Amino acid sequence: MHTRLKLLFVVFAMFATGSIAAQDGNSARDKQELQMIALEALIHVPEERALPAVMKLLETGGSDELMESAMFVLSQMDHPDAAAALVSYARTGSGEAQEEAIRMLGINGDAAAMAALSEIYASGDEDVREAVLEAYLIADDVDTVFAIAMAATDKEDYEKAVEMLAVMDAHEQLAQLREAKGSSEALIDAYIISDNHEELEKLARDGTDPDVQIEAIEALGIVDGPNAEAVLLEIYKGSVDNDVREAAIEGLFIGDHDQAILDLYRASTSSREKGELLEALVIMDSDLAMEVIDSALAGDQ
Amino acid sequence: MKDDELREFDALGLDREIAAPAHMQQRWHDSIELAAQNELRAQKAATRSFSPMSFFWGAAMTTALAIGIGIGVFLYADPESIDTNQYVVADRADAFGRVMQAHLRDTQDDIASMPIDMAEDRTLLVLQIIQQNRLFEQAAERNDADSLARVLRAFEPILMQLAAADITPEEAAALREQLAFELKVMLTKLERDTSKQVTST
Repeated sequence: MHTRLKLLFVVFAMFATGSIAAQDGNSARDKQELQMIALEALIHVPEERALPAVMKLLETGGSDELMESAMFVLSQMDHPDAAAALVSYARTGSGEAQEEAIRMLGINGDAAAMAALSEIYASGDEDVREAVLEAYLIADDVDTVFAIAMAATDKEDYEKAVEMLAVMDAHEQLAQLREAKGSSEALIDAYIISDNHEELEKLARDGTDPDVQIEAIEALGIVDGPNAEAVLLEIYKGSVDNDVREAAIEGLFIGDHDQAILDLYRASTSSREKGELLEALVIMDSDLAMEVIDSALAGDQ
Repeated sequence: MKDDELREFDALGLDREIAAPAHMQQRWHDSIELAAQNELRAQKAATRSFSPMSFFWGAAMTTALAIGIGIGVFLYADPESIDTNQYVVADRADAFGRVMQAHLRDTQDDIASMPIDMAEDRTLLVLQIIQQNRLFEQAAERNDADSLARVLRAFEPILMQLAAADITPEEAAALREQLAFELKVMLTKLERDTSKQVTST
């Protein structure tokens, strides 16, 4: 305990030295460095003593870096007052300081403090809502992000929540969203992010919403799952819709399946189609392109 | 990470399960592929525009990943070269704490030596740090170190920003400072906790 008291004294002395250094007018940087060292040292000090020191620093104010660091130290305290202080900054702060306080709530993970985030989300602007979603990501709170997505009435809010679920690998919740709210481009992006080729294949084969279907077909090429090439070929051959066929070529193109495109080229009897397929091979910088060009120049079909 | 720390990590039985998260590697590969293909596709007279994925911090990640094509993602020694029988972990929690400290120290060193002014080099280094960080975040989850897992997860958005090629050196320096401080605090906290355990035994 004696050592800790000494350490606390040193920490306060460093904060004070920082103030004196600043008064000299030529070492604001030195002051900040000292304050940062003092903040770090507070980790060794019992929380009931460290907390007032951090709170005082936050109330006094300082550079963004210093404030962020002070909030991070708060986030590492188990004392309920630390979480309460972060909630207060998250509610009443503005700009980056507020977003940082929200992030720190995610890091702290205190259940009561996390509960306050839903109210902050509801009343916050776009940046604040994004920061809250990030806090849920940090806290690994899939259920709350799912609830936000389910309750979202604004398209952008919905998309952001869906994207966050994808980043969190929340496959089950994404499937529930599809059932509850139907397919959308946001879900396709989510399937890409979460590498869910099975769901993409279902959408790619479902022509209920042509826009979604086309996005899904192209996305199959991006994810390039184990059956992507076969599925894309099947979709291409099985459709008479130009947009669908074009999307399938895009998918093969993105997935770098040049042999499949060559096979389609050879099977095609349409000059226009052959031209498009050859163009894709050339852009892919495929070695097979020269083979085709040589054949075409020789007059072979 | 030193050899003895690697052995400890291996003895925790985590690396074989999580050292190669295939879906994550595949996802990164997809993003790299997408970014590269988009460049090619810009040359093509498209009749219909294609909207690439745009997730939370997607733009930064895609840009960063495009540069990161072909990087070796894991920096760890080949697990096959480690004989786990030579090393016995007496206390799993202690070993885990030591391995985490080693990881944080390595990350500190990487961050400190980061070439702020050279965007491509910075991006490559940060992508490697992100991969390592994910590995240890999963390890923290599996060892019920929730608090540590949250902090490691919180590093990732900052690292993503730091990996972006379009930030200024000043912005990169500020992000580096923030990470350096948070790493230092976490390392201090882990060392403190380990010291407490040793003192109390």
